[in-house]
Amino acid sequence: MLLDIRKLTIDFPPSRKRKAVRALEDVSLRLEAGESVSIVGESGSGKTTLIRCISGHVTPTSGSVSLFGVDIARAAGRRLVDLRRRCGVVSQDPYGSLPPTLTVLEAVMEPWILVRGREERQAGERTARALLEELGIGREEILSSRVRLSLSGGQRQRVAIARSLVLEPELLLCDEPTSMQDASTRGDILRILQRRQEAGMSMIFVTHDLFLARKAASRGLVLYRGEAVEEGFCRDFLASPQHPYTKALVAALPKLSSSGTYAGESDGR
Amino acid sequence: MISIRNLSITYGRMTSRGRSGETRAVKNLSLSVEKGKLFALAGESGSGKSSVLMAIPGLLPEGTRVSGEILLDGRNLTALSEEELNALRWRRIALIPQGAMNSFTPVLTVGRHLEEVLDVHLGLSKRSARERTDELLGMAGLDASLASRYPHELSGGQKQRAAIALALACDPDWLLCDEPTTALDVITQKGIVDTLKSLVETKGVGMLLVSHDLPLAASVCSRLFIMKEGALVEEGTPREIVVHPKNPHSAALVNALLELEREE
Repeated sequence: MLLDIRKLTIDFPPSRKRKAVRALEDVSLRLEAGESVSIVGESGSGKTTLIRCISGHVTPTSGSVSLFGVDIARAAGRRLVDLRRRCGVVSQDPYGSLPPTLTVLEAVMEPWILVRGREERQAGERTARALLEELGIGREEILSSRVRLSLSGGQRQRVAIARSLVLEPELLLCDEPTSMQDASTRGDILRILQRRQEAGMSMIFVTHDLFLARKAASRGLVLYRGEAVEEGFCRDFLASPQHPYTKALVAALPKLSSSGTYAGESDGR
Repeated sequence: MISIRNLSITYGRMTSRGRSGETRAVKNLSLSVEKGKLFALAGESGSGKSSVLMAIPGLLPEGTRVSGEILLDGRNLTALSEEELNALRWRRIALIPQGAMNSFTPVLTVGRHLEEVLDVHLGLSKRSARERTDELLGMAGLDASLASRYPHELSGGQKQRAAIALALACDPDWLLCDEPTTALDVITQKGIVDTLKSLVETKGVGMLLVSHDLPLAASVCSRLFIMKEGALVEEGTPREIVVHPKNPHSAALVNALLELEREE
């Protein structure tokens, strides 16, 4: 079992500014090696907290998270580092999560060098270049530009994705990784992730977009105010949502295919 | 009717060493919108949508070069003085700028924001301003009791609705909305666009909505424009554009989205 989350509850203690918050309540999720799942929910539903629990950055109030067979709350030091190295993480904020002073190429090579050492630098550079090329930002002028200068949000997100894939993780945790992409680039990124999944990588894909969720993984989990309200196959949620929240979500989803009087008829395109 | 003819917009570019070079954000664009209908301008980020929208009430930054004409019922807005434009802004053409929901003054209640506009622009007495405030909040789909709240006490969707109420304050003929639902949840988005749509239908305002979200834009408008790199590349009803996109760029965009919606 790659991931086994059991009855996970997370309470954030009260602070000066806010009351105590229950971010997740009684959430369970199991993933075998090679399986992927999309987590769907609106802002405040607990999606990001769930990701942060899996990477061991948030400690469960009750329940447990077992990653690669190890209880993450009990792992510490070297052991925790080793668990985390087997995971790639794409944070939802490509502005705060990339080292601003490095060049794009250095930012992608950094995890490689930290883990494999300076002597592996050349292989790291080859891998990083190939990844950035695959993600459509392999031009020399982009590779050599500093992250904090002249990169759009969408480009930063692609740098973050390259950085998360450079060590070939067994599990990729992505938090809204394509939120700043244009529709066509988003499709390219999903195909790149799909290729990794076909090669055996597991992925947890967090999004508020049900269509995107279905594209990223066949399995899905809908979170609403910290609770898992719907679980199963994404295509089933879209076709026949069960929970009132999922029903409202599906009903509110704008569909290009039904714009105007377009009734879904195909004209061969 | 607002007719834009051969509009080009060129910004002076900021570099780390100060101003140098130029960016041509809009290239020779022509389009017309009528009152009582909802038009949407879609395109990727950086395609020039917001520049077109901001050019209408003359709100582009100083030093921006604008050529071409923007005709409001035949009157060329690009030739007007700041004073003449001020007489039109808010009263005839109201703008909901990008990120409007984050632009409230934190120390004023929502009601005070509205009363201030009614006082400054229409000279309403305190009492009639208060009555009008209730009415405006109602039109934007908010409860009148929210007038006494401060911006931080409102959700993102409520703040966006308050921005709509603010734009409606002087009973404008035209409403220009820049990404009015971006960063809101899908269900909240739907509620906001339904409110915008009903303003067009019941009050007869003309609306130009800018959005990078093509499915959302296509779901509400009666006519759709698509921009790419400063140029208008597609124009038609949503159905026409979805079924028969003429331009290769919009065809690629439409197909990428339809592929996402299609179940494999």
